[in-house]
Amino acid sequence: MSRLDALRGPEPAVDHNARTIAALAANPGCDRRAVFDAAGVDKQAIARHLGYPAPFGQSVFAITRARAFEELVKADGCAHLLRLLRELLGLTVAEVAYDDIADVGGNASHAVRHARTRALLRRAATAPPGDVAAAGTLFDHPLLRLDMGGAEVYLEPDVIAFQARGRFHVIAIKSFAVIDGQADPARVAAAARQAAVYVHALRRLFEEEGLDPARVAHDVVLVCPKDFANTPTATLVDVRQQLSVLARQLSRLTRVDRILDRLPPGLTFDLRKDADGTPTRSSADLAQAVRKVPARFAPDCLSSCDMAYFCRAEARERGSTDLLGRAARDELGGVASVPAVLALAEGTREPAADEVEIAAQLRLAHRLYAETTRAMGTVA
Amino acid sequence: MKLEVLEERIIHLRQQVRRAMAAGERARVRGLRAELRAAERAWEEALEPRFEFEFEASGPPPVRESVHRALSLLGVPAAARLIVAVDEAFHGGGLLGERLTGLLRDEERAFRAAPHARPYRLCAALTADLLSPARGLIAVSTWPLEVRVVGPLSARTGFLTSAVRIAEEIIRLRESGTDAAPAAYRLLTRMARNIPGAVEGYGPADPATVIAAARAELAVHEPADRARRSAAAARAAHRLDPAEQLFGARLRTAGAGRTRRTA
Repeated sequence: MSRLDALRGPEPAVDHNARTIAALAANPGCDRRAVFDAAGVDKQAIARHLGYPAPFGQSVFAITRARAFEELVKADGCAHLLRLLRELLGLTVAEVAYDDIADVGGNASHAVRHARTRALLRRAATAPPGDVAAAGTLFDHPLLRLDMGGAEVYLEPDVIAFQARGRFHVIAIKSFAVIDGQADPARVAAAARQAAVYVHALRRLFEEEGLDPARVAHDVVLVCPKDFANTPTATLVDVRQQLSVLARQLSRLTRVDRILDRLPPGLTFDLRKDADGTPTRSSADLAQAVRKVPARFAPDCLSSCDMAYFCRAEARERGSTDLLGRAARDELGGVASVPAVLALAEGTREPAADEVEIAAQLRLAHRLYAETTRAMGTVA
Repeated sequence: MKLEVLEERIIHLRQQVRRAMAAGERARVRGLRAELRAAERAWEEALEPRFEFEFEASGPPPVRESVHRALSLLGVPAAARLIVAVDEAFHGGGLLGERLTGLLRDEERAFRAAPHARPYRLCAALTADLLSPARGLIAVSTWPLEVRVVGPLSARTGFLTSAVRIAEEIIRLRESGTDAAPAAYRLLTRMARNIPGAVEGYGPADPATVIAAARAELAVHEPADRARRSAAAARAAHRLDPAEQLFGARLRTAGAGRTRRTA
């Protein structure tokens, strides 16, 4: 791990949360993100110093709204939530127990809360069937833990619900609206990715406790406001796909050594901050160091990664096909730059042995395009 | 300042006011009177800390009284959100949620300074397992311990009991000839939507139906809930000192606990 410490420099490692873990899983092919996250590098500070600050952070209005909605869902002993879970999961009338783990007797330290979460979930999982009161049903503010490349990360899902058929469900409370049964797919996808992180962490906890991890359902309960009112509604979201992406990415994280082996020795992303915390390293020097770790830019990085603007500028310099989005890039099968693609299409460049097939397709597309625009030109 | 010292000062100031008045020194009388009033206030303060509650008595009722009134209606520990809603539904509102933050801390400080200066204190609900203060819940000190202790099922039984009590209050008001405010019906309907069988369609809830439905579900949870609460209440009565019985035991390390217990 000392190699990772050297990459980060003297700063303390930046903590992960479900959001950052989900972002990591969203682009599993990116070595740059994998290395930065494994080393706990402050990506935000680096991007700012490079001159490409990411315009991130939620607006205070969005945060206030999210909090108000969560309070509403949990108000009156989670009355709304119980109604929704009774409809959705068939929770019985007797299953109403509510345990709050926001603190343990006034002690809100992570270690204490995690130990308590563990104890309550173990009790719930091993309670005799039918003994609803002993098992518990809703666990609010639980604290899970995940090992990320050697560092322990604490994660706080919204609620965990347990029900008599022996399954545990992660509940995600989100304040974006489900209108006429439809929600913004991008936001649902982001919520699913985050929820998958919790499911994964909960399954690890079960494994550590010697319980069957399959008791944690891969269906998460997504609670959102319905239509234009503030009434909560709940939907089951299958996160199996997100879970497998996440598992793959996490296993990659632990094998980050392989990426590290390819990096030049002595590489560091240290900003060389002075006593006041002002970076003294020149941004050109830092940029050179960052470029040593290959990135895999995709337009959706812009919504999840601090480094995205730097990577986009880099991709533009190289005329990379990454800029066109994942689908187009994959269609272009291995031709890395836009000028190269155009040259192949126009026939000004001889295709290499492995480019023959794609070159033929490009030329066909080019001919069709030329004919169409010519036809349209004559009509006009 | 000690009470005796203040009393001497008050007598002395009164004499001076009388003399200045006799000498016709108007400006001096005004200054002396201000000093006298300040000394008298300090005396009241020293006699009974947090006396300023009484000064709020004119105008709207002080926060603790509004809260007490709402809690007395509900009969179970409740969260600030519900207390504010009940105040709005039955007592004309005016109670602001943010004024409830820090209320328990003030009450605890006042209780520790002068335990029996008040007929009641607003206090915490205690968690059944650790006897620590339950987050966000407010209770009344005159309630028996087993009402003030909350177990895992109490969030639900508390909600159902509150719904029953609100419905009963609406019926009572109706029978006395003064119907409840629309806000009261709105509150009841909102709660009823989350109780199976308590309301149908989109109309306002019927109090009698809500009571029947809530009691039906209460019957399922109540035996287990009550058993848990009474066991915990017995433990609390045995283990906690009077202040802790009201405001909860804090989780503490063995060493720190010793020193505080014996202090």
